[in-house]
Amino acid sequence: MTRDHGLIDELLAVRSLGGLDGDDAALLERELAAHGDCDECLRLEVEHSEVAGMLALALDPRPVDEAIADRIVAQRQPRTEQRPDRTDAAPADELSGRRDARLGRWQAAFGIAAAVALVLAFVLATHPDEGVRVPGTIVAFEGAPGELAMAYTPGERGALVWGAGLPDPGGGKVYELWMIEDGNPVRGACLAPTEGAVAAYLDADLSSAELMAVTVESTDCPSAPTTDPIFTAELA
Amino acid sequence: MTLGRTRHEPMSSAEPAGTPDEALLLRVGAGDEGAFRELFARYASVSHALAFRLVRQAQVAEEIVQEAFLAVWRTPDRYDPARGSVRSWLMGTVHHRAVDAVRREQAQRRRSDQAAALAPRVADDPTDDVVSALDLPGERRLVQRALAGLPEEQRDVIQRMYFDGMSQSQIAERTGLPLGTVKSRTLLAMRRLRTHLGEVTP
Repeated sequence: MTRDHGLIDELLAVRSLGGLDGDDAALLERELAAHGDCDECLRLEVEHSEVAGMLALALDPRPVDEAIADRIVAQRQPRTEQRPDRTDAAPADELSGRRDARLGRWQAAFGIAAAVALVLAFVLATHPDEGVRVPGTIVAFEGAPGELAMAYTPGERGALVWGAGLPDPGGGKVYELWMIEDGNPVRGACLAPTEGAVAAYLDADLSSAELMAVTVESTDCPSAPTTDPIFTAELA
Repeated sequence: MTLGRTRHEPMSSAEPAGTPDEALLLRVGAGDEGAFRELFARYASVSHALAFRLVRQAQVAEEIVQEAFLAVWRTPDRYDPARGSVRSWLMGTVHHRAVDAVRREQAQRRRSDQAAALAPRVADDPTDDVVSALDLPGERRLVQRALAGLPEEQRDVIQRMYFDGMSQSQIAERTGLPLGTVKSRTLLAMRRLRTHLGEVTP
């Protein structure tokens, strides 16, 4: 049976230019999921992304400080290497400094120690029989307004997630946290903010996750995301 | 995602001279600093132009470029050749990060009720230069001519969506066009661009 790709073609065109939003983002995901492993869908996606990728070439190139390449190369760390504890780590270079600056916004708003203590109290109250260790690495999510952060220990199970100032996901909606493993989303947890704040313990194996993402989903917490991520965070 | 699949064929034959991007990226995956620097030399300046075009702040634009290339350096295996060329992947990454920054800033402005404090816009509309594009390097001239060849209403949608970082809903709201019209014009524009840019494909 020949499938109709008109709708997918149109929505992929908009998505490739970064313009897809609202219900159409979820609609596209549903349509793509319904088509499954579809060569025509892939062809359309590639065509639009190639055209979009060429548009930037219309701009006058803007010189870049070559020292950026040096700083990036100096950043390389083995993926299994644990990041230093944020509480005693000195920024290694400008990039680290900028990340710390972003984290600083969160720290200023809440105070890391207070926030972790709050989440630990929550975890101990809800998981009284489980031993809980204070994780050593904290990552700040980027994306939608508000602040969202996660503390974890690379290679170990579990993470503490907390946030504040988050937008209301809407009636009948929650935030759903995903672990992106080899490009595929793996369900983490559903988070229902109270007055914009969330605090939760994620009881999951993060060792294979390269990225964390948060989408807005219905309260039945689907097993696959139906909308685009509003928050993401790269892991070590 | 693996680097082994090669279902995609680059659309344009106008690839930079020398080692193909995909081969360089494979070498980056093996920790080859020289390969990374070659990719950086090829795409950092256009990435910077794209980021700056969207965010209009030099420091933020440079940070976006740095983060995008840091991701290339640390996790090159995120590139999936089945989904397009290295260039489209990289430009997509930069564009996505820049649009995120634009929308974060917009949201913050809304929250602080300072919408009137918009930063002065930079007059570097790529479609302004299309008439004088004759002396530009090949690919840039090609893309500018393709943009110039679009009907004005289609070019306007591309301009707002890609180069200004507006969503389809924002464009509909700003222009008063029905959302469906914004989407259909986007598709028509992309098809026409594809036709023009695809003409150089052997």
